[in-house]
Amino acid sequence: MSLVGDLIIGGLSIGACYALVALAMVIIYKTSEVPNFAQGEMAMISTFVAYTMMESYGLGFWTSGALTLLFALGLGAVLEISFLRPAKNPTILSLIVITLGAEMILYGLAGWRWGAMQLPFAVPFSEYSGISPGGVMITEMNMWTFAVSIVLMAFLFLFFRFTTLGTAMKAVQQNPFAAKAMGIPTRRILTFTWALSSVTGAVAGMLIAPVSTLDPNMMLDPMLKGFAAAVLGGMTSLPGAAIGGYLLGLIENFFGGYVSLEFKSVVAFGVIVVILCVRPSGLFVRHYVKKV
Amino acid sequence: MKKGSLWVVTMLCVLAVLGMASVTVAADKVRGVTDTEILIGQWGPQTGPAALWGAVGRATGVYFQMINDQGGIHGRKIKYFLRDDAYQPAKTKAIAKELVEDVGVFAMVGGVGTSCGMAVRDYLTKENNVPWVSPASGSSHWTQPFNTFIFSTFPQYFEESYVLTQYAVEKMGKKKIAFFYQNDDYGKEGLDGAKKYMSDAGMQLVAEVPVEVTDTDLKTHALKLKESGAEVVILWVLPKHGAMILGVSKAIGFDPQFIAASTLSDPDLMFTVTKGLWKGVMYGNFVNMDSPLVKKYLEAQKKYAPNEKYTGLFYLAGFYFAEPLVKGLELAGKDLTPEKFVKAMEQIKDWNDWLGYGCTFTPTDHQGVKSVYIEQCGDNGARVKVSDWLVYKPKK
Amino acid sequence: MLSQRKYQSQSGDERPCDLSYLQEWNPRHINCLTISRRKSIIHARHPWTDSADCPAIFQGTYHERLFFEPGVPLAIAGAAMDMKRDYYEDVELFRSKTVLAATILFFGALVAFPFFVGGYTLYVVNLIAIHAIVAIGLNILVGYTGQISLGHAGFFAIGAYSCVLLMVKAGFPFVVALPAAGFISALFGFLLGLPSLRLEGPYLAIATLGFGMAVTQIISHSEFTGGHMGLEAPPLAIGSYVVDTDVGRYAIIILTAILLTIAAINLLKTRVGRAFVAIRDSEIAAEAMGINLSWYKTLSFAVSAFYTGIAGGLMAFALQHVSAGSFNLILSITFLAMVIVGGLGSVMGSILGAALLTYLQIKLQVIQEVPVIGALLMEVSKRYFSPEGLPNIQSIVFGAIMIAIVIFEPLGMNGIYLRMKRYWKSWPF
Repeated sequence: MSLVGDLIIGGLSIGACYALVALAMVIIYKTSEVPNFAQGEMAMISTFVAYTMMESYGLGFWTSGALTLLFALGLGAVLEISFLRPAKNPTILSLIVITLGAEMILYGLAGWRWGAMQLPFAVPFSEYSGISPGGVMITEMNMWTFAVSIVLMAFLFLFFRFTTLGTAMKAVQQNPFAAKAMGIPTRRILTFTWALSSVTGAVAGMLIAPVSTLDPNMMLDPMLKGFAAAVLGGMTSLPGAAIGGYLLGLIENFFGGYVSLEFKSVVAFGVIVVILCVRPSGLFVRHYVKKV
Repeated sequence: MKKGSLWVVTMLCVLAVLGMASVTVAADKVRGVTDTEILIGQWGPQTGPAALWGAVGRATGVYFQMINDQGGIHGRKIKYFLRDDAYQPAKTKAIAKELVEDVGVFAMVGGVGTSCGMAVRDYLTKENNVPWVSPASGSSHWTQPFNTFIFSTFPQYFEESYVLTQYAVEKMGKKKIAFFYQNDDYGKEGLDGAKKYMSDAGMQLVAEVPVEVTDTDLKTHALKLKESGAEVVILWVLPKHGAMILGVSKAIGFDPQFIAASTLSDPDLMFTVTKGLWKGVMYGNFVNMDSPLVKKYLEAQKKYAPNEKYTGLFYLAGFYFAEPLVKGLELAGKDLTPEKFVKAMEQIKDWNDWLGYGCTFTPTDHQGVKSVYIEQCGDNGARVKVSDWLVYKPKK
Repeated sequence: MLSQRKYQSQSGDERPCDLSYLQEWNPRHINCLTISRRKSIIHARHPWTDSADCPAIFQGTYHERLFFEPGVPLAIAGAAMDMKRDYYEDVELFRSKTVLAATILFFGALVAFPFFVGGYTLYVVNLIAIHAIVAIGLNILVGYTGQISLGHAGFFAIGAYSCVLLMVKAGFPFVVALPAAGFISALFGFLLGLPSLRLEGPYLAIATLGFGMAVTQIISHSEFTGGHMGLEAPPLAIGSYVVDTDVGRYAIIILTAILLTIAAINLLKTRVGRAFVAIRDSEIAAEAMGINLSWYKTLSFAVSAFYTGIAGGLMAFALQHVSAGSFNLILSITFLAMVIVGGLGSVMGSILGAALLTYLQIKLQVIQEVPVIGALLMEVSKRYFSPEGLPNIQSIVFGAIMIAIVIFEPLGMNGIYLRMKRYWKSWPF
């Protein structure tokens, strides 16, 4: 039974990372209907910034972590203001291409600045030891990953539910024109959306880096899986994205554990195609039929 | 209109400038050889997923600079063209075409990546008779079937894996060997070598666990390895996955002896990346780190490329791959043609005066190096030599 | 854009409409300058934004009846609306004698081209032509039918592998294997089109992305397809004549590209093409007009996959080797970028986009060797970045160009072309 337990823990801990990336994507998608392909690289750059602060400036983990979140906030806002806002009468596709372009720019910048070498990302908690109830090892890193992701999710949920800003963001998503008419500064809300999403992504990056080591390609796979998880959950639902992430992590781990390791990394997409055939708008969103 | 035309003009300028940069060089009688210069080309991924290996091509450049400052080869200086193919075969082909037909190089050296190399192998050697020294991967496709113009100095993955497995079984007395490999030609050739030895010895691997290049979560892989009860796990993966599997294995309380391929033979780097877990890992190596040349080359690096951040083993490999080329050019004499160069290369016998060991090319065998030695990672990534040079000798 | 939709759906059927339909455009936004009985210049402003984004020239008098060009969003149509006086003008291949002459001139240039350049340039042109075929195919799906695909590298791979396998294992000649590869790819396109009936936007994106990744994964793990090592392409023979020169490959690839381009232009002028456009503009309206949604959507996937498959087959021979690793997600994304940078809903744009991005991909790496810029970049690298990471500048410039085109020219390079055209046409004014 310990294998099952290990698979569950493994699935949940990578699932938590997928869930965070998925949340980051959903936050942007909810307000502007753009799947943000630069999400992974934004997180990657932020993680590199944290690394630099720790290595080159000798700051502690928590200080640099906090500063990194500030940096991520700024990065998201700057990207929105400089790349997305100037687009005239954009279609969704052209916005997607803008995010792809941003992805390439960020990827290039990281490679230019930090090179392609693998770098260690040190955290003040152990990736190797922890508690082991019933022979199933749960490392401190696992526990931190769970805790951080759950706290962040709860925060986001409360934020969208109870704060004025959160409500305003929902309003912008539902009807940008009406929201504008009601006096909501839609542009600023969009910028803030990107900032918030960037912060969420940065947290994911810093949770992935200690295990997978740091390099410019670090977020390619988690970003795709996060996107997949968000689609699985329904693209507009925050809890859906989170559950989608965990589900994806578990599916992958069990498929790898019992069926085939070779196809572990693509099984997720197969499952998603099947699920989408049955529920075209994901698991947790009611299918929305466009009216004339 | 204003904005539109501005953009058109800007774009045209960019294109024109790029066009200017690729000035064509008129071909001489022998392609790539003039009275004062020998033109040598290499592709190497400076960007993209394999950019880690980009150090190889840069180091080769330093080596040629050093040779040029020592007076060159028979009065000729080496002119070196390094191009970035981002590990994409279509780009590699474009680069090969540019270097051969536009620039007109005499020979190619190094060149990371099996699939990239395969895309240009026949183009270079069959269609254009370009000598190609030291393809930078241990694939068997360079020398089998025999190819007149390719000279390989990278020990074949198959043979290296055979030797490492043999060492684990015969010298270390281990019975349960598991194999953790990257699921492509690189990993599979390694796997084949290990399987060949095991079947020769009447045994079997206890587990063969594949990992995809894109995988970021290795927990399942580690659990599989643990389940098999392996005493030794042989790693035929990228440095990233090598580092990750160690961490994940430790987290699930699995602690076998790891033996890694020569592609992970930089203990300094691996020790740092794994935050110390790499200590005790054994790995094959074909670059002779005891050679006094190592110091000389690193001094050259300080002189010609002082900004280089990484000067570990993959960097030295750039020197290693280029040394046989220079040796061949020296032996070929003043009157240089591809055919004479091939003849000269085939004279090299048991050559040890370089970073490698026992380099021998014959008119029927262009796999020059067939031996590796085993090192172990010590404290702080120090190198501890645990075996002498081991030569591939199949039991059956 | 509501106004766009309205006009495009009218272009979906073949009903002529006259300028009174422009009433939604406030008359005060339309300045008409009659030059002659046949030609007038109308400068229209967008009714809502009041920006002068889509000034238009109509050839023809103000009161004549107009055909709106199908497949061209009003924004484009506005920029280049040549007046159509009857249905046959709308469906004819060459819009005017000038276009015909330009086309002939262009073909002439293509024929003369290989006599002036070396093998390297020919290879780059071959790549551009192959990518142009993919971009046209993808544009049929994305630009004309309004679906999205992040899995076209999969079709590309299927085309390449089927072509090689059919020749090596089944002994087909090249002239049969290439179209066969296209049809195999089309079959997969049709199959992938089925789930797409119910999916849209990001859901379709992730489904197609999964398809592309699965294809690569399966090909690289199957012994039949040569595993990760890939396959050597057999000698390219037409009849008993073996094509082994760059010029020969160039001839075959360019010829195929031209044929497929003409076929695409024709297809889009027919009933099928109009149906695609109608689906893009409004699925519900299209269905109401009697267009069989599921048939035309899957057909669009199949046609798109056919083009990509043929291009894949050609790629196998341009590279002379196929390996699964090269058909990755980045390739799919590059294809999509070609279409959007070139201009959605435009065959001409697809070719321009493919040419620009392919050229940049191959040529950007010498940016460090450009005299002044190279030294400057090196200095910047030393001070703020790292010199060994400098080649990453390619990725940055590439991304910046993509973004710049989309931001400043939403219609892509086709839009730039149309602006230039309009500028010349209305030059004295």
